[in-house]
Amino acid sequence: MGKIVPIKTQRAEADKLAAAISEIDGVEAEVAERVSGTNPRPVVLGNSSPESWRTLAEKLHSEHGVDYCSMVTGVHWPEGDEDKKWEIVYHLMRTGIRNPPIEDGLVQPVIVDPSTVRGSGTPLELELHVYLPETRTPSVDSVQDIWVGADWNEKETWDLVGIDFDGHQGMRRVLQPHETPKGFHPLQKQHHLRYHDFQDMYDDSQGFMRKPADAGKIK
Amino acid sequence: MAEMWISMGPQHPMTHGLWTLKVKVDGETVVDTEPDLGYIHRGVEKICEARDFTQITTYCDRLCYASANTWSHSYIYAAEDLLEVEVPERAEYIRLMAIEIQRIASHLMWLGAYGPDIGNLSVMVWCLREREMMMDLLQELGGSRMHYNFPRVGGVKRDLPHGFAQRARAKLKLFLNRIQEYEALFDESTVFLVRSQGVGYAKPEEMVNHGVTGPNLRAGGVNYDIRWAHPYSVYSELDWEPPVERSSIKGADCYDRYRVRVEEMRVSASLALQALDKMPGGADTHHEPGDPMILAKAPARAPEGTTGAHHFEDSRGESMFYIAGGGESRGKQPYRVSIRSPIFITIPFAAKCMIGYKVADIPAIMGSFDPCIGETDR
Repeated sequence: MGKIVPIKTQRAEADKLAAAISEIDGVEAEVAERVSGTNPRPVVLGNSSPESWRTLAEKLHSEHGVDYCSMVTGVHWPEGDEDKKWEIVYHLMRTGIRNPPIEDGLVQPVIVDPSTVRGSGTPLELELHVYLPETRTPSVDSVQDIWVGADWNEKETWDLVGIDFDGHQGMRRVLQPHETPKGFHPLQKQHHLRYHDFQDMYDDSQGFMRKPADAGKIK
Repeated sequence: MAEMWISMGPQHPMTHGLWTLKVKVDGETVVDTEPDLGYIHRGVEKICEARDFTQITTYCDRLCYASANTWSHSYIYAAEDLLEVEVPERAEYIRLMAIEIQRIASHLMWLGAYGPDIGNLSVMVWCLREREMMMDLLQELGGSRMHYNFPRVGGVKRDLPHGFAQRARAKLKLFLNRIQEYEALFDESTVFLVRSQGVGYAKPEEMVNHGVTGPNLRAGGVNYDIRWAHPYSVYSELDWEPPVERSSIKGADCYDRYRVRVEEMRVSASLALQALDKMPGGADTHHEPGDPMILAKAPARAPEGTTGAHHFEDSRGESMFYIAGGGESRGKQPYRVSIRSPIFITIPFAAKCMIGYKVADIPAIMGSFDPCIGETDR
């Protein structure tokens, strides 16, 4: 039988981590359950105020062994509550990976037996939300220097959603052209998808003269 | 000697797609690099916001042209988490088999493309020969050659066709024998060994911090795999171990990354064969599309304020979807779909790995990380 991490171990570790980070000011965390297909899995689900996010990130990395930043997502909520107009979701993970030891000049691969993982070696999944109030220049502290994996994630979030990251070195457009107008971030909700008439494709193959078929109909 | 910047790409054999690597060279030595992406940015995340949950599957197929099936499954698992659907067990086995066959096809495409990168052209034809068998199998399931649109929210589109199990077993067993041929072609080729060994070192802890996962990470001597760390599907029911490579003291080099992928094809073939054997109801039975054995009923609307997320072991590392559902009067469509592409995160790391090596090593190092630009640019 294939070995997987027992859900009990993961659940217990998640409870511990959630309790530990809840003690930081401005942070609330609990353990939620997500279901993938038929398997339930525990996730540490937390909220952090923008001021305490940097402290939380440092503590997670140095004290709780959260060593991997999976994804940074920005969401624009123009119709949301007054203090929740922008949301940043961090998906972090604890992998428990260490460099394999070297014995007699040979690397000894680390073969973790998933059914016997304990303590800080248990893989964990975290989902942390940071909400920002109504503002035209949303920004939150960068964690680029803690997890280098967050570097391009933050660049992408600024490029597409327009949320800036304080202290981020070398911010630039990554997916859109470099000459994209300043302040244009397509995943903000004031930009709507527009559709073109198929005939336009033949009259004007490059699309320079094209007007959206729904021009004037949308705000 | 004076330093200067060179643009490699957007059209360059090294890129395996369409992007630019800006390289600062001092003579023959690389001293700095900067990747420049976005040439095929299609705005999939924005398009998804105006589509139903079922319509998005087709867009996710098109995220990666070498590994379409794993990407649509990655989305489907997140959507099922959002819509709270319980998947029938038979559908999980069919999915697992489809994912693993796609993983083989993807690794074969990589191996076939990596050979010409470093001076071994004949291997490409050999790899595409076996990839054709895998694509035939997937075509029987999904109905088209590259973009299968196979999974559904709550199950799969169709059950295994009549006679599929027999053909799949024969092809996978034949494939397991033929892997030896690639190993002979690569491992006995002095050109390949000279160009892939001792370049592009990467250590596991550094890779995790940079967000690099999947085969690239396992080449460094750790067996971390999302399939056991955050289990999904029915991997717990099958007998398997993620392949791990004994790297050199300085870390995993290009040769280790090649070895780990070849081993992974063996594991994937064995997983697909086991799934065929253990399938509830047997692999020879056939249910009509929509049968509750293969497709559970799924709601079309997501309640306000719900989210779904899923980490998935893609052929290239950890792929991930995060979906925020609902929103004002638009419950049928997601409010925000966010996609984590493993290669989007890996390319900056691979570009750092090249610093200190010669210009001629760039294709060898870049190719060994298995870049796929469709998913990178989204």
